[in-house]
Amino acid sequence: MAQETSMSSAEVASFKQNVIKESKSTKTIRSDFIQFKHLDFLANDVKTSGKMAFKAPNRVKWEYTNPYQYSVVFSEDQLLINDGGTKSKVDIGNSRLFKKLNQLIVNSVKGNMFNDADFEVTFFKSPKYNKAIFIPKDKKIGEYIASFELLFNKDDAQVYEVKMIEPSKDFTQIIFSNRILNSVIDDSVFSN
Amino acid sequence: MRTTEGLRQIPVVDHEINNPYFADANLDYVYKAKIEVYKKNFGGILIIKKTGFRNHRIVMTTEFGNKLFDLEFDGDTFTKNYVVEELDRKFVLNVLQEDFKLLLNQNAVVLASYESDSERVFTTKNGNRFDFYFFGRPSGFLNKIVKTSKSREKVAVDFCTLNGRVAEIISIKHFNIQLKIDLEKFKEDENVN
Repeated sequence: MAQETSMSSAEVASFKQNVIKESKSTKTIRSDFIQFKHLDFLANDVKTSGKMAFKAPNRVKWEYTNPYQYSVVFSEDQLLINDGGTKSKVDIGNSRLFKKLNQLIVNSVKGNMFNDADFEVTFFKSPKYNKAIFIPKDKKIGEYIASFELLFNKDDAQVYEVKMIEPSKDFTQIIFSNRILNSVIDDSVFSN
Repeated sequence: MRTTEGLRQIPVVDHEINNPYFADANLDYVYKAKIEVYKKNFGGILIIKKTGFRNHRIVMTTEFGNKLFDLEFDGDTFTKNYVVEELDRKFVLNVLQEDFKLLLNQNAVVLASYESDSERVFTTKNGNRFDFYFFGRPSGFLNKIVKTSKSREKVAVDFCTLNGRVAEIISIKHFNIQLKIDLEKFKEDENVN
């Protein structure tokens, strides 16, 4: 791993500013992703992959294409799920925890979640990336996620990796690639 | 009982059945799970690993990787490492545990044997109830397990296998509650990194 050091407060301020600026000018994102689920007792991480689409202000579609077809559209109070042709809706309106987890997924795509009062945030830098680590203050959320890490490109302040670490140290890692910014994405993409 | 209708009883020659599908400690058994319970659908990833002589670890996560439950099975009893609040109910856990017990139990003593031209069926004891194991003829592959109450079929597990050692597709159907679990194995080459 590349050497990693804490950012100074001046570096934090300028880094945040870059991410916020970048996030504001991002109207749409299309990206491929690979997800690794690490469980300490397995020989290999569980690997799935697919495509992600984001349209400002808050619409996100995750579409797994390998090894199975499964897509989710996040909207305000609902998840629209298409599980290999079986469609369902999940109301998340009354679950604060679920809402928070969804908000994390939506916000982590853009990277702009520094003002989230539910997390303690610390910042690190290396020659290759900038990193923000989010630790939940809420005990309930802490039971699911010990910490949430976002890795940002040095040059364009875009998120290229998300890592969700559980209290057991098992983790989920999502790595983005082939990111296309501000192309036209039709609303129908988010109907699922 | 309906389960053995049309079969002829034969003397017990094989004294123990063997379920090979979760028996290799070197393999990670990873399945896409689709669950239909009382007309509601949800899904996730079911991961099973043999961790000891009679021991298995059983973890289910959402498609995003969030753990739904994490159980350990020592051949007799289950230990709960983690269960998400919504599933942490006695009824739910009992059903899950009974299903996994049926799925993971590797050996059982044979009480009676039956056969037809296409299959060989073995009755085994499960507490004070009976399980029936269906093996194909001539393949010898385990195709089905049926768990019964005194007079009725309670749960049926169907297996699709190419080589008799790994189940590509598993379907668990309950007859006394509206619950169906479909499992489809991740393709090998797609899950090596």
